[in-house]
This record gives sequence, C-alpha cells and structure tokens, in this order.
Amino acid sequence: MGKLAEYAFVAGTLSTFLALVGYVFYALSGVRAARMAAAGVPMTTGGIGFTSGPRTASIGHYATLLGGLSVFAIAASLVLRTIATGHGPFSNMYEFSIAFAFGILCAYYWFERKYRQRVLGLLALPVALALLAYAATVPASIEPLVPALQNNMLLTVHVATAIVAYGSFTIAFAAALLYLIQPATGRWGLPKPAVLDEIGYRAIVIGFPFLTLTVVLGAVWADTAWGTYWSWDPKETASLVTWLIYGAYLHARVVRGWRGNKAALLLLVGFGATLLTYFGNLFFGGLHSYSGLAGV
Amino acid sequence: MAHTTRTQNLAAGTLPSGAGAVPAAASALPAGGLPTTGATGRTGALDSALDRLWGLLTSMKFGLLLILAFAAFGLVGTLLIQMPAGVADDPQARAGWLAEVRPKYGGWTGILDQLQFFTIFQSVWLRAIGALLAASTIACTLHRIPGTWRTMTKPHVNVGPTFFEHAPQHEQMTFHRAPADVLAAAEQVLKRRHYRTVTLDDGTVRIYADRNHWQPWAGIAGHFSIVVILAGAMVGSMWGFRDSQFMLAEGATSAVPTEPGLSIRLNSFKDTYYPDTGAPSDYVSDVVLTRDGQTVAQQQVRVNEPLRYGDVSFYQAFFGPAAVVTVKDAKGATLYSAGVPLAWTSNNGGNKVGTFSLPGQNVAVWVVATTGPDDPSVKPGQVAIELYASDTGNPIVQKSIDQGTPTTIENLTYTFERETKYTGLNVAKDPGTPIVWFGCFLLVVGFMVRLFVPYRRIWGQLASRPDGGSSLSVAAVGRRDSDLDAEFTSLVTDIRQAVTGPARS
Repeated sequence: MGKLAEYAFVAGTLSTFLALVGYVFYALSGVRAARMAAAGVPMTTGGIGFTSGPRTASIGHYATLLGGLSVFAIAASLVLRTIATGHGPFSNMYEFSIAFAFGILCAYYWFERKYRQRVLGLLALPVALALLAYAATVPASIEPLVPALQNNMLLTVHVATAIVAYGSFTIAFAAALLYLIQPATGRWGLPKPAVLDEIGYRAIVIGFPFLTLTVVLGAVWADTAWGTYWSWDPKETASLVTWLIYGAYLHARVVRGWRGNKAALLLLVGFGATLLTYFGNLFFGGLHSYSGLAGV
Repeated sequence: MAHTTRTQNLAAGTLPSGAGAVPAAASALPAGGLPTTGATGRTGALDSALDRLWGLLTSMKFGLLLILAFAAFGLVGTLLIQMPAGVADDPQARAGWLAEVRPKYGGWTGILDQLQFFTIFQSVWLRAIGALLAASTIACTLHRIPGTWRTMTKPHVNVGPTFFEHAPQHEQMTFHRAPADVLAAAEQVLKRRHYRTVTLDDGTVRIYADRNHWQPWAGIAGHFSIVVILAGAMVGSMWGFRDSQFMLAEGATSAVPTEPGLSIRLNSFKDTYYPDTGAPSDYVSDVVLTRDGQTVAQQQVRVNEPLRYGDVSFYQAFFGPAAVVTVKDAKGATLYSAGVPLAWTSNNGGNKVGTFSLPGQNVAVWVVATTGPDDPSVKPGQVAIELYASDTGNPIVQKSIDQGTPTTIENLTYTFERETKYTGLNVAKDPGTPIVWFGCFLLVVGFMVRLFVPYRRIWGQLASRPDGGSSLSVAAVGRRDSDLDAEFTSLVTDIRQAVTGPARS
C-alpha cells in the first residue's frame, strides 16, 4: 500500500509538471493573441478575461485535463497512504506537503471551473509543484505516531481544515499577483483586475473561516495534549498572525484608500505568513516540532 | 391600485433624504468622519473628546491598523526567541538567559530586552494594542447593532428614483399588464427564492426584498466572540492556577496545590518506544486521585488523555528517573520515605539531581545520581547525599551511599532503597475555558455564516403607464461580483417570465 501510494505520488507530480507546461503554452498563445489583437487582427476577447487565439482554447483544455489527472493521482496517493498508515496523511512534512499541494490543486480547479481564468494556473501550479518536489526530498518512510500526535480525529480534522485554507490562500496569492502586475485598465490580455479582485476575495471568503476552524481545533487539541488552549507556541502564533492579516484584508476591502492595490498587497503578505506558518515546523522549535523528541 | 400584500407604514423621517443615495443600513462601513460639535464649555469639550474617541474606535481604518500592528508584533514574537515562562520573573535566571542569547544578538540584546521583545506576549505593546483592539471590536459591534436592527425590522423601502439608474445592478422592465398583476407575480418569484418582501404604496408601488436578512447578525456575533474569548482568557488568568512542574515519583502521594483535601498518587509510570525506530510510542501515568482519603478518580493519564476532575485537569507533560530514599532519626522513626524525582542536572558533572526537605530540620537534602562507570564521585549502585542548610544555603556535608545500606550522616540514617521513575504532570485549573470554548463556537459559526450565506437586498419601483401597462424598475446594491450579477439577472428573467408567461416560441 505504501509503495502504491508512492507510485501515485510520482504520477501526480509528473502530471502536475506536464499540466504546468500546458499552462505555459496556453499563456504564451494567449499573449500572442493579445498582441495580434492589439495589432488589429480580430480575436475573441472574453468580457472579463483572457484574450485567446485560435489554438489557445484547445491547449488550455489539455492543460486542464492533465491537471485533473494529477488531482486524481494525488488523491489516490493520499488515500493509499492513509490506508497504509492508519491515520490521516498529515503526520510529517512528506505527507503534509503532498496534502498541501492537493489542497492547492483542488482550490485551483474549483476556481478554474467557476471563473475560467486559466492564467491563474500559471502561478498556482508552480506552488503545488514546488511542494511536491519538496515532498520528494524528505523521507517518505512510514513512521508510527509519537504520543502527542496520537489523536486520530483531531489530527485529521485540524490539518484537513488547514489544507482547505492554505489551498484557497494560494489562489488568492495568484490572483493578487496578477492584479498587482497590471494597471487598472488591464495589460497583456490578462484577466481584468476586477475579476482578479473578486477571485482573491472569494478565495479568502472560503479560506478564512477554515483557518479560523483550524486555529480553534488547534486550541482544542492543545487543551487536551499540552494542558492549555493557548501557549504562544511559534506555530500557533504564526497561524494567528496569518489569521489577522487575512482578517485585515477582509476589512481593507471595504475601507476607502485600502481597497485595490493595498488589499492585494495584503494577500501577498498573507501568503508569506501562510508559508511561514507551514514551514515553521522546520525552524521554530516549540511544541509543533515533531521531528525529534521534544519534551514529550 | 389595490393590492393585498403586507404594507408597512414608515415614518417619513426614516426615508433617505439624498436622491440616489445607496440605502444606508447595516452596511459594514461605519461613519467615516468625526462628528463636529459646536458645543463650548467643559461639558462640550468632554463630549467632543468622547465623540472623537468613539469615532476613532468605530473607524474601520483604525481597527484595520490595529489588526496589522498586532500581527506585526506577533510576527516578531514568532521569529525572535522568547524567554521561557518563569525565567522573566527571576532576575538571576533572566540574566543567565540573556547571557546565553547575547552571542546571537550582540549589542541588540540589551535593547531588545529593554523593549520587552523577548517577552513580547506579556509586553506593554501587545497588551496596549490588544486592549485597543478589544475596545475597537466592542465599539464597532455596538455601533452596528442599531443599524442592523433597523434594517432588519424597518428596511428602507423608498429609495428614490435615481437609485434605479445608478445602482450597481439595475434593470427596467415594461409590461402590458396592470401593476397589481405585476406585483403579484414579482412577489411570488421573490417568495419562491426565499426573499422577504415589504411594499409601500404612495401612488407608486415601492418594493423592498431581502434574503437571509439575519445574516449580518452572524458577523456581529463573530466579532463579539473575540471579546468573549478575551474575557475567558482574563477569567482564566485571574482565577485559574497552573503548575506545569508537578512531579510525582512512583508510589508517592502528593497534595494538589490550591485544592484542599485533594491528593494524587502515582501507581506507576511507563514509557514505551517503537522497536524499529526508537521513537516514543507511549507515556502512561497510572494515577489515583483521593479527596479526604476517599478515591475519587483513577486513570491512565496519557499525552492525549488528561485526567479531568471537576475543573482541575492533570496532563502528562514529562518524566524522568527517581531515587527512593528513606531517612530515619536516631530512635528509628521514619522522617521521610519516598521517591525523589531527579529532575535537575548538576552544573559541574551533568548528574541527575533531586531535592527534598525534612520536616522540622534546617536541612535541604540533595540526591545526586551517577552518570555511569566513569563518574569519579558517585559509583553505579550509589547516590550521593548532599546536605545544605535550608536558611543560608551553605553546604553541610556530602557523602556517597550504597544502595540498600543504611548510612548515618549528621545523626540521621539515610538509605538509598532503589531506583524508580517519576512523572511530570501539568496541573491546571482554568475556570475561563468554558467561556473560551463558547467564544470559539461563536467565532467559527459566526464567520462561517457571515461569509458562506449570501445576504441579498433588492429594491423595486412599480408605476402604471398611460396605456394601462406598468413599468417595473429593480436594482440591487452591492459590490460588482459575478455571483451577485448572476443572481440579479436570473431574478429579473424570472420576474419577466412570471409576468408575461412562459416565452412563446
């Protein structure tokens, strides 16, 4: 089972890479179309989105198919790993990185279905691919759980909600980056800033309550395992900082002088905080460091 | 124009004055400008200052800056090493700790310490920002309640004609049917879509409809929950207690601090490891809790399975070796016989050491364990007994004793019986916890509902036309958003179909 999980992981990583290549060609084809449109050649320009040339749509279609394939392969890998280990696939950096990548891919395809903005894939997929590549470099061996992690229900739910939140935040990051690199009137045939603003917002609307749930479930777990619901553990604090930044973003979007660029900037900062929270296990120390024998 | 729908009488004063104004309501924006009062005199000045304070606290921009400031300090606390609990209050430990980190932070060490950056979560900065944030949250919540209540119970129905031209979503429809028929059809469509409808007839029929009109309360509850959680934390810090260094050797019984009559006994402690990796697999303390001699609880306490008795909880926190030592006086009466947790490490030799005091004697006994065959002073099978004066801390005598051999030191007989284990428990009583959980429940449910359940409001204006037909304008307010646009468009299509009948083709 563990071996099968690894095969599925490799298949998922490969198809993510191929999907990314597809998105690159898709974007190149689109940019060419935009240039030709600017030169006066008639092109289809979506009301809200990306300019497309004659072959753009079919390239995009294949990219989506490959991406879909990687979602299935990684889902299979996670399911097989769960069967092999007997707990949710979230107990170490290998499992958690694959789960994070899965969260990003799921969030991305949800948004692609809803908004048809494939250019986002050009930014979201590299993040997923980087996490998969990172997972390939850390030990994949199945280790039994240390006492602090022996809480199957909370381990599964606490981390699963984090995955939903982190996946959504990655989409918000991609949308914000595309928003910030173009002027309000649009450029290079990229999705219109108003659409990107909406995508970023919608991603936070989904991610924020899930991050809230993650932090609260973390507090519940801490109260069971560590004896206090809050102890300013570095990872705990980093997740609070992330929560505050996205909370600030939700307010910024309705405050004059903050909507638009500053709000988008907060999404970039928020994603930085998300990554810090995620990788924090590696260098924070504290109670979340499950690499070695820390205290208990 | 006779229609039989619910009609609400609205006080003229509540109608919006500015033509085309977006209906003011419980939209999230607080009053932006500070109120200016022309009042003079002391009361006036005070009122004006209070108004300004209120304006500041209810300003979302101010709240936003506070959130970001709190996040920035939190980030510092995450990245900068923090003083462990207990070190900060002990000047000697504090100096030692600062000396340890000085190589890393160099000349900044003193400055960072002065700025309370090493104890940032207890610093005046974070306390001040936290207090302001709490005040701002309370003010914003209170500020929004009346408006939200008004919007729910007495929504603005008459919004003025220009609103229907300038609203983000707006549509004008003309029909060959009488206004009463159009209204009936439109109301039916709205009802089917779970909208609540309020109409007002002043010659022109004005329609207001909303869906999930209770949703803004979820946002208020979500914000209020933060105050609840903070209140719970304050209750915990004022009336709770915590001993995270509660040690108990196997076979020993100890009174639970601050709980008169309550004692805990450790039957056994077991630490087990995975054979393949050597990683820990389980830590179990088998404990018995007694109140006035009566057993009230017995449990295997594990890392994820604390013992909860009333509002006191016992958590598995750490463990280590212990030495069972018996002390008798010259007449043979036992002064002490228990496991001594060897929870500390000596500075010079790295030996595990533990301490206890003898009742009625001015002496602190330290038990020093061996580090192994290479230990020059304490051989395997021995412990060293070191006596210090309790009051002055001056050393009295030190002697290594063999296991099982009673040895007389300073008129008392010490026996090192055997080696055993101790468990380290975290004993906590936190009456604020239920309040915190209630706040967390409000927080999660409040924000989930606020962000997942759509709150929709639309306005309509229905007038008769000279040809006996009618014209219906509808408009919605909200940010341009594809979901909102889609819902508005489909609503308009439905109304059109309901009035004219299914499209004939």
